[in-house]
Amino acid sequence: MVALGLTLIYGVLNQINFAHADFVTVGAFTAFFTATRFATKVLGLPDTGAYLLSMFAALGAGALLGLAVNAAVFAPLRDRGDELRPLIATIGVSVLLENAQLALFGPIPYQFDSPFARETLRIGRIFFSAQSVLVVAVSAAAIAALYGFMRFTFLGKALRAVAQDRETAGLMGINPNLLIALTIVIASALAGMAGALLGPVLVLSPFAGASVIVKAFAIVIIGGFGNMQGTILAGILVGVIEAFTVQYLGSGLIDLVVFAMLLLMLVLRPTGLIAERKEENV
Amino acid sequence: MNLLLKVQDLELAYGEVPAVRELSFDVAEGEIVTLIGANGAGKTTSLRGVAGAMPPRRGRIIFSGRDITSLPAYRRALAGIALVPEGRRVFPALTVRENLEMGGFKFRADRGKLRSQMERVMEMFPRLRERAGQAAGTLSGGEQQMLALSRALMSEPRLLCMDEPSLGLAPLVVQDIFRSIRAANAAGTSILLVEQNARYALETASRGYVLQAGAIIASGPCAVLKQDERVKEAYLGRR
Repeated sequence: MVALGLTLIYGVLNQINFAHADFVTVGAFTAFFTATRFATKVLGLPDTGAYLLSMFAALGAGALLGLAVNAAVFAPLRDRGDELRPLIATIGVSVLLENAQLALFGPIPYQFDSPFARETLRIGRIFFSAQSVLVVAVSAAAIAALYGFMRFTFLGKALRAVAQDRETAGLMGINPNLLIALTIVIASALAGMAGALLGPVLVLSPFAGASVIVKAFAIVIIGGFGNMQGTILAGILVGVIEAFTVQYLGSGLIDLVVFAMLLLMLVLRPTGLIAERKEENV
Repeated sequence: MNLLLKVQDLELAYGEVPAVRELSFDVAEGEIVTLIGANGAGKTTSLRGVAGAMPPRRGRIIFSGRDITSLPAYRRALAGIALVPEGRRVFPALTVRENLEMGGFKFRADRGKLRSQMERVMEMFPRLRERAGQAAGTLSGGEQQMLALSRALMSEPRLLCMDEPSLGLAPLVVQDIFRSIRAANAAGTSILLVEQNARYALETASRGYVLQAGAIIASGPCAVLKQDERVKEAYLGRR
């Protein structure tokens, strides 16, 4: 989900959002405070309900953050024919968000207890934590929803048109700026929701997102920058390879194997799993 | 006849360098008007200025009695200006049908209208119906030009701007395209045609403007322009 957001923004804007990791962290903190403070104490919801509610709160927080970053950074810097300025600006947003959270929540990690992390499911001889099942299920649902949106709705098709040729999309009566804003909001909402899902798995500190984002970048590169199908495929591939690594080589080698795979991809097939179709002019 | 488009003293520039200066021309309701000129004379730039793909430096553009000078491209498209850009610019990874849907973007809330428009353009170019599910990037150049023209017609434009429709196409396909342009005109669409093939352009249009180095040097009915010595020498070839 995190990787998908990155690739979505790159695909439509041709820009990398370095603050994406911090959107995940903000989502995780939003979920944490919604679940542990607001929903249980104020609303009196049971743990499970509180956690589910917190996922939507994180989704909303991500979306709002995306809206704000678009209005403050991407929109004003657009059309200056310069790709570097927005890139640097997103690094600025990242530093800002990290330090704001550091000031608000302190450097000491929080323990985010999800009711699902305590449960274990058993299928045959294999045990799963309910949290990991939830992560997979929600990610799959979100990805399916996004895919359906891009494929079958008018707005989704318009979004792809803008990604392929912004100027010509404008000539069709499509407002490119509006759709770019929509892209950033969707990507950020995905990041926020991912934060809620990963919060209980990660060590929840203002820098929690950084541990996720590196792998997300690896997935995006393996899948081919800006390519949605490639990113989904690469995400699944990386997940499976990680699982096998844990099983046969030991969990300490996960990152080694994933990044070895990344290097291999860069050497053998730098365009990613699914090469982007470039239009042939004339 | 009512004026549909009036361009007054338009100046368009790439960076600091003006590409066209003091450009003034007009298109009446139901008319076919052509801009001819050599490569680099500013024809494409002028069309892009009309469609809103380039913000003007100076001057005014009046469309259907309304000042659209400061409107962005997408608002002009909704107002009824469609551009078939140079080099086709179809969306390569969208299917033919999806490309057409994008052309009819302003009818997205009206499925029935969209379907009847789609039916109309596919009637005109049956080839597009055969290829409806195919990615537009896999079409031949001629098919892409048909698609680009159909995509523009999907929005039922009042003014259709065509940029070099014959460029790089086989003569038979060019005839097809020009037949469709005339058909669209007969159905009530005004047309602004930019074409390096001056012979085709002057035969299709009723009036023309001759651009040279970013300025209009001659204008008038095509029948007169065809006899103009400068036009003959520069664009039609000596006899």
